[in-house]
Amino acid sequence: MRAFLPRLALLLGGTLGASACSWSRFDDLTENSPVVLLEKPDSMNNGFGVSLATATNQGHTQVLVGGTVTTAGAALYELGQEDSPNTKTSDSNFCSGQGKPCFLSSLIAGFANAQGPDQLRSLCYAVGTGVVVKQGLVMRCGDANEYTLDMPPAAQELLAMSIAQNQPPQDYPLATDRTDNPVLLASLPEKRLAWLYPEKSTAFSALPVPDGLDVDDASFGRSLAVVAVDGGRVLALGVPGKAKVLLWKADASAKVSYVGCLRGDPGMGKALAAGKVQADGDDLVISDDAHVQVVDGATLFALPETTSNECVLSGLIPDALKTWWDCKTTGNPSECEQAEFGAALAVGDLDGDGDGEVIVGAPKMLVRGQKNAGSLLVYTMKFPWNPVLVDTKSISSAESGDELGRSIVTPHVGKRDIIAAGAPGHGKAALFYCTAQLPNGAGGARCP
Amino acid sequence: MFALVKLVFLSRLSRRSAPLLLLLALGAALAPAVSAQPKDAPGKRLEAIRAEMDKGQGLFIAGNYASAAEVFEAGYAAYPYSAFLFNAGVCYQKQNDVDRALAKFREYVKVDPHAPDLDKVNQRIATLEAAKAAAATAAPLGEAGSGADAGAGAPPVVLPSADDQSSMKSLVVIETEPDGAPLRIYQRVEASAQFTLGAANPGFKEVVATNAPANLTLDVGQYHVVVEKFRDFNASEADMTISPGHVHQLKANLSQGKFMAFLRVSSNVLGAHIWIDDKKKERSLWGDTPHGELVPGGTHEVLVEAPGFEPFLSNVDLEHGQQKELEVRLERLNYGVLHIDASAAVVAVRVDDHPKGVWRTGTAPLEVRLDAGEHQLTVESDGRKTFKGKVVVPRGQILPLHVKMIPKYPRGAAWTQAIIGAAFLGASIYAGVESNRLYDELKSDRQNGTLDGSDERATRGKWFAIGADAGFIIAGTLGGLATYNFIKDPLPESSVSEDKLYEFEDPLKARPVARLAPYKALRQDFATVEPGPHLQLMPSASSTGGGLFLGGKF
Repeated sequence: MRAFLPRLALLLGGTLGASACSWSRFDDLTENSPVVLLEKPDSMNNGFGVSLATATNQGHTQVLVGGTVTTAGAALYELGQEDSPNTKTSDSNFCSGQGKPCFLSSLIAGFANAQGPDQLRSLCYAVGTGVVVKQGLVMRCGDANEYTLDMPPAAQELLAMSIAQNQPPQDYPLATDRTDNPVLLASLPEKRLAWLYPEKSTAFSALPVPDGLDVDDASFGRSLAVVAVDGGRVLALGVPGKAKVLLWKADASAKVSYVGCLRGDPGMGKALAAGKVQADGDDLVISDDAHVQVVDGATLFALPETTSNECVLSGLIPDALKTWWDCKTTGNPSECEQAEFGAALAVGDLDGDGDGEVIVGAPKMLVRGQKNAGSLLVYTMKFPWNPVLVDTKSISSAESGDELGRSIVTPHVGKRDIIAAGAPGHGKAALFYCTAQLPNGAGGARCP
Repeated sequence: MFALVKLVFLSRLSRRSAPLLLLLALGAALAPAVSAQPKDAPGKRLEAIRAEMDKGQGLFIAGNYASAAEVFEAGYAAYPYSAFLFNAGVCYQKQNDVDRALAKFREYVKVDPHAPDLDKVNQRIATLEAAKAAAATAAPLGEAGSGADAGAGAPPVVLPSADDQSSMKSLVVIETEPDGAPLRIYQRVEASAQFTLGAANPGFKEVVATNAPANLTLDVGQYHVVVEKFRDFNASEADMTISPGHVHQLKANLSQGKFMAFLRVSSNVLGAHIWIDDKKKERSLWGDTPHGELVPGGTHEVLVEAPGFEPFLSNVDLEHGQQKELEVRLERLNYGVLHIDASAAVVAVRVDDHPKGVWRTGTAPLEVRLDAGEHQLTVESDGRKTFKGKVVVPRGQILPLHVKMIPKYPRGAAWTQAIIGAAFLGASIYAGVESNRLYDELKSDRQNGTLDGSDERATRGKWFAIGADAGFIIAGTLGGLATYNFIKDPLPESSVSEDKLYEFEDPLKARPVARLAPYKALRQDFATVEPGPHLQLMPSASSTGGGLFLGGKF
């Protein structure tokens, strides 16, 4: 008996020690991890990950992470073309407000190329409103060049009042497409205004709203999307308070015309996104409080100009609605009811097969027992339009209140897109390099 | 188990003279050392004389003439019988110590002027004196004695070198009951001659004519003893053979009309008690071994007992005038006794896993009676190391055992180390399990593509792994130390020491002493199981001679 216990202890110790003693395996695990958290710069002390924008030009991909709307700036990160992003910001002076007023927008937009005051500039971002040389919509490019774009007079006046009278600034949501020469769509919910900057232009065109169309709601223009299709763009503006999405189209000549209004379930237009859900062209992705719908972009572009103030169910538009789903029908994610399913949307070709996957943000989803940690739900379309939940993304270090999925973009890295998502609850922004759809080896060292 | 018995028929007296009872006891020395006690009873005294004579004879046979002479001298000093003088003279003569030999022979002649061999002794004295004279002018006596004797032309000379064991004279004690009967002793000079009472008997030579009791010194030879008609008793006669260097006892009970037989009982146990025709031991002892006495002829029931031995009971048939020696070999009892005490206040004793009692300090040793042979002895005491060992219980003897109970070595440090080590082990196991769990989670997250490099679980898991490793090392070290300290025991084990065996208490207060080699306690742990090779030298004597037996085991 004397010798038995010590021998047993040694045996157990040896066995367990052999299995558990290697702490370096944790380094092996975390090295080239599939999720990379971007480091919040010290200068951004007011939110991080509230908004995201990405831009790619000549193989150069960047992500801009925005802070609290109107009160914080944004920080730029270089992702490169491989799977080794620079987690430290390369430029944290976006709308920093240092010396000059700048009010960050809730939706920011990235440009592969943007028309500056004097020349075409690459890798630029529309981040909000403020003053550079003059007041207007603030653009800042990768070379740290800043300029402003003129806005409609009502917007300028409101901005001037905010600057001059130190009134609470207004949000100016922004959106663009992912072409080499994108257009910029902007709105001013406060004034129910929306306008467009055509490609390679600093001049704006106001978007007409038919008389009698009931869009008088503070949610006007809280969500925007630019759908690039053959021959032009479809411009979508959400009024989720009215469960409506207004649609315009802009042809190659930059002529803008109103083409209709979609109406759906409550919250319709809570978030909008554009992208190639199928390779034939950009589609419009719309969420409401419970569903996500995919509407064919080309069909929308084909709609004739109208002045009707009617707003129809999306399903009534012939052939436009390709598919729809909700949080529960295509998967089994928990806490769907409280997840804010569809709070943010993005479309990206995560597996590089040409067809895009729809990434749906659910920032209040329970993750590993962490309330409101948030998840990203990745759906792919099985032929022809059968949505399948193929992946659920969350941050392994999820904390309660992270609210991952409040903002989503899909930066293009290499031959595919990755997911960049904001978790503003705790000021996080993460890059997801891997999805379940990636073929073996296609994801590089970070993916299995 | 009854002892072996050996009946030794030493000689038989002629029974042609029926009225005379004659006993002849021939000494058979069995005890190496019996103190001479001149004032003892006649039987004891005679045994003592016999022992001295046998001892001297044994030394003479062995060629140790100097020691033999000393024994004979001492014998004479204690028991002034002339046979001792003559025998001492022969011993000196064998050493070429002519002067001392002459002195002894001359003293012999002086103290026993009627010795039947007086002429021969005078002749020996003359021869020695001649040899001594010759030696003064020629070679030393011992080496050239023969030549000197031959040259002297003297009567036949007893050459010193011709003396052998038969040269030793024996003491013959002849008694009659009642005393005073006339005795005549005739020596047979012709080998085939037969003595006829009242006839001429030419083959015999009268050598002694005296009255009983008589102490005579006689040469080796065949004799015929005649107790002549005395008072109202008829004459009786008997043949007698005298062996060298012995004590012969003859006793004629004239009133019996028959020879008495002589029974001598000896045993391998000195002092064993003998009862004759009294197996219920209602009368006093007949004697203690060795013991010889005249007994009536017929069948006698002999009981021999000694503490620690099986009693011996046997019938002995004795014819009238027969001398018989009963050599009894007593066998030890098939059980023995352990006397156990210990160096602890209280000890519990178990033998072969059966409780045998508790011994407390200050009390008499615990007495445990057990079958002879090997037993498992267990002695336990609180706070002491348990003794376990084998002990061989002797047959018919008491084996004192002193158990040295060693205190248990304190294990406090070992237990402390073991407990702390176990705590570390438990913590390490927990940390290891937790580390593995975190690793599995992280690995799963990585496979799911959700693992971020800054996940604090990786850090936590790493620390758990490091903690587990450190804990295992500490636990292992403490476990090793605990093991060592559990095993480590600088104190010796409890042990037992065996004291000298001793015999059972003799109720007759005459504790016998076994003649056998001391019975060795056989215990594998402490003693040799069996005695090793040994030599044993024992004196022995019979009617035809004596000597030393040399035996052994190889």
